Amino acid sequence: MNHIVYTYIFYLLVSVALTVWVAHTLHKNGRVFLVDVFHGNDALADSVNHLLVVGFYLINLGYVTLALKLGYEVASAQEAIEALSSKVGMVLVVLGAMHFFNLYVFSRIRRRSVLTYAPPPVLPDGCTMVQEPAGSAQAPYRQNMVRS
Amino acid sequence: MRTLTVLYDANCNLCRRVKAWLGAQTKYVDLDFVAAGSADAAARYPLLDHPATLKELTVVSDNGDYYRGAKAWLMCLWALREYRGWAIRFSAPELMPFARRFVVRVSSLRFRFGYHGS
Repeated sequence: MNHIVYTYIFYLLVSVALTVWVAHTLHKNGRVFLVDVFHGNDALADSVNHLLVVGFYLINLGYVTLALKLGYEVASAQEAIEALSSKVGMVLVVLGAMHFFNLYVFSRIRRRSVLTYAPPPVLPDGCTMVQEPAGSAQAPYRQNMVRS
Repeated sequence: MRTLTVLYDANCNLCRRVKAWLGAQTKYVDLDFVAAGSADAAARYPLLDHPATLKELTVVSDNGDYYRGAKAWLMCLWALREYRGWAIRFSAPELMPFARRFVVRVSSLRFRFGYHGS
């Protein structure tokens, strides 16, 4: 076997290990975010978390395999290391971009849910008596009060 | 809070148009529209200062808290799914005076867009 085959093998080992590490970090730390977003619904949070990580794996491993081919000859160990380093560098940059994109997705999901439960932005000017219309039992507010 | 009752000025074309726009938006909180100064409004809120509701927009929550002027506008935006973020941004203490001035200006000029039925 020549240098280029070793380069490819090293490249695949390093890239796959890096992808697994980043995906694992995302999976472990993203869960806390999602549990908060889904108001303690653990099952839903785990499901969304898993789906996100699967997408992350597919895109990254897809990129790693597509970018495998070197396209030029490697004669010495020095050239092999240089080629390996530039390839792994690209993988790292792509992983970093994907990671930040994932963080952006998490924060977007969270912002939506924070808004849903945001309290009124201003204090009322005062409070007045509310006269229920005739047949007051049908007024929506009272009805809900009684039911709960 | 489930419902906000908006006491809008039924005599002003601009107000009716804004009411139609508010009604068409998707909401977090239901908006209920009652003409300001009408018998319906007086029956619902017997202790509210009704002549004042014809001067500036008033919004009443289902537990009786009322909001006037710029605060009422912010509450309307806050009820809408697409504009809640804006309502929270505009309610910052630095922006509130601008919001208040803007609302006073629009309110005082609102009949330039025509009375209803004219």
